[in-house]
Amino acid sequence: MNSDRRNFLKLAGLAAAGWAFPRPVSAATTAPHVLVIGGGFGGATVAKYLKLWGGNIDVTLIDRSSSHYACILSNLVITGAIPMDRIKLGYANLQSKRGVNFVQGEALAVDPVAREVTVNVGGTHYAYSYDKLVLSPGVEFTPPAGNYNADLTPHAWKAGPQTLLLKQQLSAMTKSQTFVLTIPKSPYRCPPGPYERACSVADYLTRKKRGARIIVLDANASIQAEPVNFGSAFRGIYKNVLSYIPNATILGVDSQAKSVTTSQGVFTGAVVNIIPTHRAGQIVTDAGLANDPTGRWALVDPLSYASKVSPDIHILGDSQGTGQPKSGHMANSQAKVCADAIIRAFNGEAPDPAPVTSSACFSPITSSKAAWLTASFQYDPVTKAMKRVEASFAEAAQPTSDGMQQMYQWADNIFADSFS
Amino acid sequence: MNRKRPYNPQREPRPFTSCRLLLPVFIATSLSAFAAPPPGQLLAAQCAQCHGTNGVAVSGFESIAGKKADDLYKGLLEMSQRRPENIMDLQARAFTPAQLRLIANYLATLPVAAGETLDN
Repeated sequence: MNSDRRNFLKLAGLAAAGWAFPRPVSAATTAPHVLVIGGGFGGATVAKYLKLWGGNIDVTLIDRSSSHYACILSNLVITGAIPMDRIKLGYANLQSKRGVNFVQGEALAVDPVAREVTVNVGGTHYAYSYDKLVLSPGVEFTPPAGNYNADLTPHAWKAGPQTLLLKQQLSAMTKSQTFVLTIPKSPYRCPPGPYERACSVADYLTRKKRGARIIVLDANASIQAEPVNFGSAFRGIYKNVLSYIPNATILGVDSQAKSVTTSQGVFTGAVVNIIPTHRAGQIVTDAGLANDPTGRWALVDPLSYASKVSPDIHILGDSQGTGQPKSGHMANSQAKVCADAIIRAFNGEAPDPAPVTSSACFSPITSSKAAWLTASFQYDPVTKAMKRVEASFAEAAQPTSDGMQQMYQWADNIFADSFS
Repeated sequence: MNRKRPYNPQREPRPFTSCRLLLPVFIATSLSAFAAPPPGQLLAAQCAQCHGTNGVAVSGFESIAGKKADDLYKGLLEMSQRRPENIMDLQARAFTPAQLRLIANYLATLPVAAGETLDN
């Protein structure tokens, strides 16, 4: 907070304490402050669009890292098709082009009464005040039973060091070894993602480690997204390299032994890629905002993404529990609805009563062809929920090389739309 | 307040609660600084993930900023009604015809991408 704001608040505090003090006229030109926690697709997009559309709003974006690694395209980093730098997204453009304040720090706790967030910046704790708070922290994992250790059995479901660890493990496999992938119960981040990973790894093993196999253990009863494209690939081109086992609930993981015990049996591999069960980001849970019936996700008003517990706190992206899919594209989409609603609220207006959100993605099925999936959502005033527009929901008829080209073009544009 | 100054967090004493009591006043007094969002702006922003911020794509997909509203609307409506073949035919189905009209009208007001000329 800069000194003008602090002085004003100090004066305001004195007035509140009973001092006879006229209302400061300077307040009319003081910009409200929006604090955004989490610099992934949701947080970066809401920060950008608040500045783009809002004008006189101070926006501070806080993330524990100095840059974000996109999960989008990250399966291609694991197979070595693209370098890690391709998915590295910094905050320099948001600062220089948009005027967002970026602070590298770890948000520790929210105080909704005092309207401030405690942030660890380089080992010192600071209190950041806000008029509106946006939480977009992504997901937290619920560790499976056993001696689970992500350094030995990586998830690579948050891009970064985990992506490189899985890449390294895959690359070190021999032609007689097995890669075991576990898929958590829905909802989880990126519905087609685990099946895309299965295809990317199967393709890699076919090309580079002929004889090696992949076992896909799905806690769900069936393929959760793009069942036509992934199902055809599993039963067709990958039938000799990939085994798909549905209804495989994890009972325990032995990361040392690289072994996973499931309701469908015990599986061991040279690489065991455990994607644990998901829940809202820790700061959302700690603030008491993960209030859906499962206690895993935050209930919000989808007209503004305001928490149903604390209306000045907005929760976006993977942590929210509106039933919309969890993905970078969807987080970007929701962030725009949220930014628009916050600006309207500062203007004394109600949110747009008919927002539309959309999710789109491209999934590589082989190293040269990708399929796509898309679904859009309209607000239903009767249920006060986002409702999927069934006519907008479909997957590609088959993977194509055009799809692969469009995948990279989509990534370029959504990276820029969110981060610059 | 000088918003151009680099943000410099100051360590602040806690608790800080007493300072918050006048926040409603603080917000209420800043209201006049904002203009209402133009119709179609939020809906059209859902095109930007592929077609770029303000309709100017950085790669691949067509830039859609500054095109004629009637042409955009006609194209979008056709995509939403024909047998779906590509991802855009599905995306167009996300919106009602009235929403497609708002999107087209808004996109038409945006500046054309640098180096591009209108082909319509």
